[in-house]
Amino acid sequence: MSGRVLVVDDEAEIRRALRTGLSGHGFEVEAVAGGEEALAAAAARTPDVVLLDLGLPDLDGFTVLTRLREKSRAAVIVLSVMADERDKVRALDLGADDYLVKPFGLDELLARIRAVIRRQAAVASGDAVVRVGDLAIDLGRRLVTVAGREVHLTPTEYELLRYLALHAGKLVTHTILLREVWGAYAVGEPQNTRYVVAQIRRKLGDDPARPRYIATEPGVGYRLRVEH
Amino acid sequence: MRVDLRRVVPFGYALAGVAVITALIGLVRSRYAVPDISMVYLLLVLWLGARYGILPAAVAGVAALLAYDFFYVPPAGTFAVRGPNELLGLVLLLAAALVTGHLAASLREASERSSATAAEATTLYELATGALRLPEVGAAIALLCQRARSLPAVSRFTLVAVEDGAARVAGGDELDAGVLRRCEWSFQRGTSVGGSIEPEGLGLVRVAGRAREPVILPLAGGVAVMTIAAAEADQPQRRLLAALLSLGSLLLDRRTAAFQAHRASTLEASDSLKTAVLSSLSHELKSPLAALRAGLTALAGPAAGLDVEHRELVVGLDREASRLDRLVGELLTMSRLESGQALELEPRSFPELAGAVLDRMAPQLADRRLLLRLPDDLPPVLMDELQVDRLLTNLLDNALEFTPAGGAIELGARVAGGHLVAWVENEGPMIPAAELRSIFDKFWTGRASGSGLGLAIARLIAERHGGTIEARNRRSGPRFEFTLPVAAVESRR
Repeated sequence: MSGRVLVVDDEAEIRRALRTGLSGHGFEVEAVAGGEEALAAAAARTPDVVLLDLGLPDLDGFTVLTRLREKSRAAVIVLSVMADERDKVRALDLGADDYLVKPFGLDELLARIRAVIRRQAAVASGDAVVRVGDLAIDLGRRLVTVAGREVHLTPTEYELLRYLALHAGKLVTHTILLREVWGAYAVGEPQNTRYVVAQIRRKLGDDPARPRYIATEPGVGYRLRVEH
Repeated sequence: MRVDLRRVVPFGYALAGVAVITALIGLVRSRYAVPDISMVYLLLVLWLGARYGILPAAVAGVAALLAYDFFYVPPAGTFAVRGPNELLGLVLLLAAALVTGHLAASLREASERSSATAAEATTLYELATGALRLPEVGAAIALLCQRARSLPAVSRFTLVAVEDGAARVAGGDELDAGVLRRCEWSFQRGTSVGGSIEPEGLGLVRVAGRAREPVILPLAGGVAVMTIAAAEADQPQRRLLAALLSLGSLLLDRRTAAFQAHRASTLEASDSLKTAVLSSLSHELKSPLAALRAGLTALAGPAAGLDVEHRELVVGLDREASRLDRLVGELLTMSRLESGQALELEPRSFPELAGAVLDRMAPQLADRRLLLRLPDDLPPVLMDELQVDRLLTNLLDNALEFTPAGGAIELGARVAGGHLVAWVENEGPMIPAAELRSIFDKFWTGRASGSGLGLAIARLIAERHGGTIEARNRRSGPRFEFTLPVAAVESRR
């Protein structure tokens, strides 16, 4: 797999290590130290993936993320030494595709980069049926089956599952689910999403202690699993 | 003995008035025959009664009787009375004088009382509205002290706040250290010195020979200290003082509340300072590690072209860097927990959380047999899910370390007595009986690797949730069991 990667990090050693490591795996890498440079490079080079550190010297990382999202279609993976879930949720809410806590090994980063590139390709191809093991979500016919047997979902349950399926593999926060499933005027009550997910799991026969279809990320949200 | 002029003057007026009127009557009688001209004296009595009260009026009445008798009742020049008519006239004169004086004096007293009450009410109204409008409670207290000291009987007045057992002057006159100590004592015991606040006004106890000793009265957030001349403190002043003291009590209470709120916000600020220091420390420690790990793992990759021996060296170094990272992470977690960061308690499903943790640890758990004992009907648990996530992760990490490949790890939960009892049990070596408790101590060094903080963190998290944690040996290996409070039943519509 190849692609263009933009690394944004103020630590020179990290930039050097990532440039070397990622080039070795066939990626075309550009590395910059600041937020303004990052925005300029994202506009000029149209990277497929941006690796964005939140602690930048010139601009707040969240600001860079917001402005990147306004004008770039690149997938954004946020890199941060902050293991705080609130930072993670905020980055995801602002449109980050993934969040990786530093320090990390190159293998883990490569897996994340490949996953976001694959997701972009899947969205572009617009597959009508999303499959996870024996679960099939037919987006065209609004039909959900487990091992060929139809599962009846309420409209809310279906909309939530559909949103997860459209972003299969991506971690989706409670806030985004509330906004996308209940509408822009839904005000924060993550308990709603928890309740609906519990209902969907029950109907799909998915044991929350051994989830096969929907994975929980404590304090953040849910993710529809995908096999690689 | 000093004679108070103010008290003598009305009697002077009485006698002088009687003399003048007697002379006038003489003048009038020499030209006209006016019957009952003695009634003129009543005007004087009326004026004296209204102005100075009953005593000067009565004195004037008696003096008038005597003067009239002496000069104008025949035989003139003597106090003798000739017949019953004249006697009756004199008696009537005296009675009329006394009744008039008494009526005028009572009217005067009533009007004085009502104007004093009105003045008192006005004072309190102005002070109360002023005090409550003032944003700064100290200014309101100062205003109150100023008003109290303007009373004639009061020479010194101070409101003292007692905060954390220490007395400080909140407003009014300065006090010396000895008096402040007595204030603390009085406040703690709730004991008044030299007086008390009664429903009808301030009560004063006269201590012989110590008239100028300050009166100390405990209030809500402190005490009032005043030097007061008991003899001059009449009823209106005492009533007003009692009312001022009630208002002072309210103000001191408000001051104490403001003091406590300020202290709470200071504590909060020091908490957020701690958090900021920890964040910055975390950043400083983790950034070099991030560079190390990214570089080492890049170097270990096939693209770097290292031979097997060098690659293994680099992989080993990365393992050490990871270990350091874990240690730093646990130290920071421990500091955060110990700095008392608040828990975010929400009702959560324990099996769902366990599923998330197991999912994340699936790669490490792959070559162990995992047994789940999680009934379907477990109630929601009140927890900070990120903290319990860490607790469970640490217990599973610990179990993984001591479970040989192919060995079993069991994760289970049940409900007992309002608590969820959850456990992680593994096949492996027993824990020596002497270490079953100390294993949760910080930096417990019973094993070769690990920070010695994982189980200490687990215990801290369980305890902060109001639960317990313990280790014990089962047939095939150790079991770590912890409890969490079950959330109150919340019905869904």
